[in-house]
Amino acid sequence: MKKLISCMLVFLLTAAILAGCGSGGSSSSAAPPANTSDSSVADGGAEAGDDGAITFLAINWWESGAQPVIDKYIADTGIEVKTEYYSFNDLLEIIEVKIASGSSDYDVISVDVPMVAAYANRGYLASMDEYFTAEEKAGWLPSALTAGSWQDTLYAPPMNNSSQLLWYNIDLLAEAGVTVRESSAENRLTYEEVEEYAKAALDVIDPDRNKGYCGIAFQQVSRTYQMCDMPNSKGEKNIGSDGFTVDGVINTDGWVKAMTWYQNLYNNGTALRGYTADECSPNFNAGKTLFMIGGTYTLNSIQDVNFGFAHVPAFKGYEDKVGTPTGSWHFGINKASTQYDKAADFIKYLTIGEGNDLWIEANNDVPTTLRAIEAIGNDPNADPVFKIAAYEALKTAVPRAVTPGYSEYSSILDAAFEDIRNGVEVKEALDSAVKQIDTAFEKYKS
Amino acid sequence: MNALFSKQKIPFLPYLLIAPAFILIVVFKIYPILSTILESIHIKGSWTLSVYAKLIQDSTFWNSLWITIKINLVMIPLQIFISFIMALLVNATVKGIGVFRTIFYLPFTLSLTVATVLWNIMLNPNSGVINSILSVFGIPQQGFLIDKNQALWCIVVIASWKGCAYWMMFLLAGLKNIDTSIYESAKIDGSNWLNTVVRITLPLIKRVLLFVFVANTTANILLFVPMQMITNGGPQGSTNVLMYEAYKSAFKFADRPRSAAIVTVLLLLIVLVCLLQFRLLNEKDEDTAVKRR
Repeated sequence: MKKLISCMLVFLLTAAILAGCGSGGSSSSAAPPANTSDSSVADGGAEAGDDGAITFLAINWWESGAQPVIDKYIADTGIEVKTEYYSFNDLLEIIEVKIASGSSDYDVISVDVPMVAAYANRGYLASMDEYFTAEEKAGWLPSALTAGSWQDTLYAPPMNNSSQLLWYNIDLLAEAGVTVRESSAENRLTYEEVEEYAKAALDVIDPDRNKGYCGIAFQQVSRTYQMCDMPNSKGEKNIGSDGFTVDGVINTDGWVKAMTWYQNLYNNGTALRGYTADECSPNFNAGKTLFMIGGTYTLNSIQDVNFGFAHVPAFKGYEDKVGTPTGSWHFGINKASTQYDKAADFIKYLTIGEGNDLWIEANNDVPTTLRAIEAIGNDPNADPVFKIAAYEALKTAVPRAVTPGYSEYSSILDAAFEDIRNGVEVKEALDSAVKQIDTAFEKYKS
Repeated sequence: MNALFSKQKIPFLPYLLIAPAFILIVVFKIYPILSTILESIHIKGSWTLSVYAKLIQDSTFWNSLWITIKINLVMIPLQIFISFIMALLVNATVKGIGVFRTIFYLPFTLSLTVATVLWNIMLNPNSGVINSILSVFGIPQQGFLIDKNQALWCIVVIASWKGCAYWMMFLLAGLKNIDTSIYESAKIDGSNWLNTVVRITLPLIKRVLLFVFVANTTANILLFVPMQMITNGGPQGSTNVLMYEAYKSAFKFADRPRSAAIVTVLLLLIVLVCLLQFRLLNEKDEDTAVKRR
């Protein structure tokens, strides 16, 4: 009897295993990542490849603002769009796992702008040159078109842009008796001036530097998007024109001087070590930060702070060389997609069509089209924050390094920025980063 | 019915019974290992050891290997020692000892991710409670996870705080299996506490210790969560263990052959360490010696 029961159990277990391994089989559009709380699927239609529906891989920040824009496209064109939203980290991993494996589950992919060259080089994206005329391409900001292309081929048209401003806490500065002078694009505050303001204020409100006040914060601290702004403002580049050379580019005198100034902020207590990029905005909103260099989206999150804003500072003596962060999200066609034409049509709607205007308005984003940028500049009633952002996007924006090895580049340089922040000798940190990046780039040259 | 299912009629019955577990091990353990090794030597249609050659020339790899060895040289014996002491403590037969067992075990009920987040908040150099407590004793603010000399050991603290609770339970089970009359005999013979632990307790729980050592080694050599969530391998690469380097290679640099090679090296490291542990802690020679007598 025991053996009969044993055999039955074995049979049931084996059957269960075989049933589990043998189900479905082919690629489905079921959401893959483990963290389901950071993902959702908006039901706009059938699975990829079925009944002409296209599947759009998107980031979850957009869900509330973007879905109405997408729904309008579906209503206007009759093309079904199924959108899958994921967190930033999950999105990048899905691309590396599913798109890299040649899955056709997704037709349109959201591409973080610095990854365009990498994805194009790895064969994840299809060329979009045939879908955009020269005139349409010329309608974008040159920096945005450059960032969306690799080796003179357009792979990912830009959807939105970004820009940064200097934000400051008026009440906290007033409490310390510090007044920030008037400034403009032609007469910017300098980094050195801002440092003096911050020090003077801290000397009053936190003389022992033990109350947790931060004089100057950088919103995306230790990330290349934020940090490269400083050496760029000394006229320095982010990478060589070949997309691979970093020696003699990111360890120049200009880079060392910019980063030394930055490190001194932490050494003299004007800035705080230890807080992450995610904590920076909450610290500002909590009234613990005097000055913050951050994006236009800061406007969405400021609640109880009496804030002022100005153009991103310049370095003294380099007022004509200001460089500001730029770039945001682009869209590309998955090379393995079976619906290029529909995917391209959807992308055109989102990047140069009606959808782009609706998206920018819904998400409070900086546009990438010249007509929208100029419209903001010419509109006397436009929000002054976006007027500054539009100016910077047009005049001072410096794209991040355009290289197929951007993942390696940013990963290594981010670590170097954090090391500099924590006190490592600047030239040593940059030289070490150069050496590591050169090693990582070898595989692209062989 | 019994005759139908007797061993003589179904000689393959034992294999049938272990088949499900064997299939699962093959599918989820053996196949991925072989697939990973193949991925590291079969690139773009040809067999090559070029990935390993590049790895040997990569100073980042050697740095990661050294950090992995360094952290485990400290963490493995430390965790076993602490777990053993905890097990001895909660093995006491006093009223209410169950409460202490529960308290000691509680850290393990948190996921490592949650534990990492909690400790990151406590170890924050600006607003963390640890620095606040230290300041009461006049100790200056410490960098902890942003200090290249402290970050690795902070991770040892985080992993040990959580892990020791788990290993304690296995060692406790081993201690419970020891006949108490042996301790009584030792007491009668005048053995003190330390002598009893070293000469009686440890030899009698050797098999359990071997399991704990092997499992602990595997878990710690593959430790990854605090590095990915907090330090990103820094500061200055001081916490860039091999597992994190493998993760970066696969999911950030899209260099799967390099990642596969690093994971293969990790596997070899684990096998070597475990073989050494088996050699030192195996009771096979003692059993053979007893049988010969």
